[in-house]
Amino acid sequence: MSASTTQDRHREVLRAIIGLAPDGVAYVPSASIAPIIDGALEAQANGDLALVYPVSREEEAMGLVGAYPFAGKFGVIIMQDNGFGNALTALTTFAAAYHLPLLIVANTRGGLGEYNSMIHSISEPVPELLRSANIPVFRVDRRNPPEDWGATVKEAGNHAKMTFRPVTVLMEFYDHKDGKAKA
Amino acid sequence: MKRIEALRAVVDATSDLPVIATCAATSRELASIEDRDNHLYLLDAMGLAVSVGTGLAQAIEGSAVLRAVVIEGDGSLLMNPGAALTAGYLRPENLVIVLLDNGVYASTASIPTHAQQLDLGRIAEAVDLKVLQVQNTEELALALRQTLSENGPWFIHARTEPGNEPGIELLLIDPVVHGDRFRRWLSQRLHA
Repeated sequence: MSASTTQDRHREVLRAIIGLAPDGVAYVPSASIAPIIDGALEAQANGDLALVYPVSREEEAMGLVGAYPFAGKFGVIIMQDNGFGNALTALTTFAAAYHLPLLIVANTRGGLGEYNSMIHSISEPVPELLRSANIPVFRVDRRNPPEDWGATVKEAGNHAKMTFRPVTVLMEFYDHKDGKAKA
Repeated sequence: MKRIEALRAVVDATSDLPVIATCAATSRELASIEDRDNHLYLLDAMGLAVSVGTGLAQAIEGSAVLRAVVIEGDGSLLMNPGAALTAGYLRPENLVIVLLDNGVYASTASIPTHAQQLDLGRIAEAVDLKVLQVQNTEELALALRQTLSENGPWFIHARTEPGNEPGIELLLIDPVVHGDRFRRWLSQRLHA
């Protein structure tokens, strides 16, 4: 039962992203969200997502996806939270400053279950960094049922469009009941 | 060729195309030539022009707007060289990158860039962008004509002299108002 919970969260997040019908999805890899990225690529192959593509760094994604609203379009970025260090200038001085809606779905690092001895140095302050830059942060973790993960992602996307700004969802995958859940 | 001369050539060729300009002196000089609604000035966002241009090229594909034109500098591209890799990976045929390469960070006291030793055109070729090398305004005008009529993704590598045009005013504009001006201009043409 618990072994499938992480899969359920992945599935619900992917379903929510597809439901938002984004015009493009840019991704930077992370092991804990690889099933979401793989699922997005599969959705592209099936015609359920328009365009799914890799970027070399998170700041690139802010420029690429941030440009979509100029043409009335909308995009999603899938990444891990330590990448906000790379992305912060582009996120603030472009996407936020020009009021460009986009959705960032990021897994958290550096918390419970983490194996890397220093990644918490960037990941722990990320929520405060984002909030201090007026970037909204919504969070889900093991205490939220999978359908709540999906509902949060879906509504965060709508919130980005409604408020004309980048919006983030931080997903903590640690689950003491699921040994396969990756930080 | 001076940068402002190169910018005049770009302005002459892009009256009905979206133009994304890299930050600081390049955007200021472009605005000084003509501050048009089809210009999007990146007021900060260092190194982001190619990424924004590639995203815009995706977003306008299949519309009545046939090209997204990016004006980038060597120093700015070197701050985010992965943007060129992604442009080469995505291969948007409607993307035109004009690299104004003066070998220095002209907006920050003309400190030398890697481009004094590295050929950014060769790097662009290596990531499958279609490269045109130009040395003067006549060659730049011809290259622009070609890129606007033949499919890319294009990378015009234009060598320019170091230095900034004197007496150019700062761009003291609200990015929200400026971005909305660009969006309105673009939206009117997307379905024309």
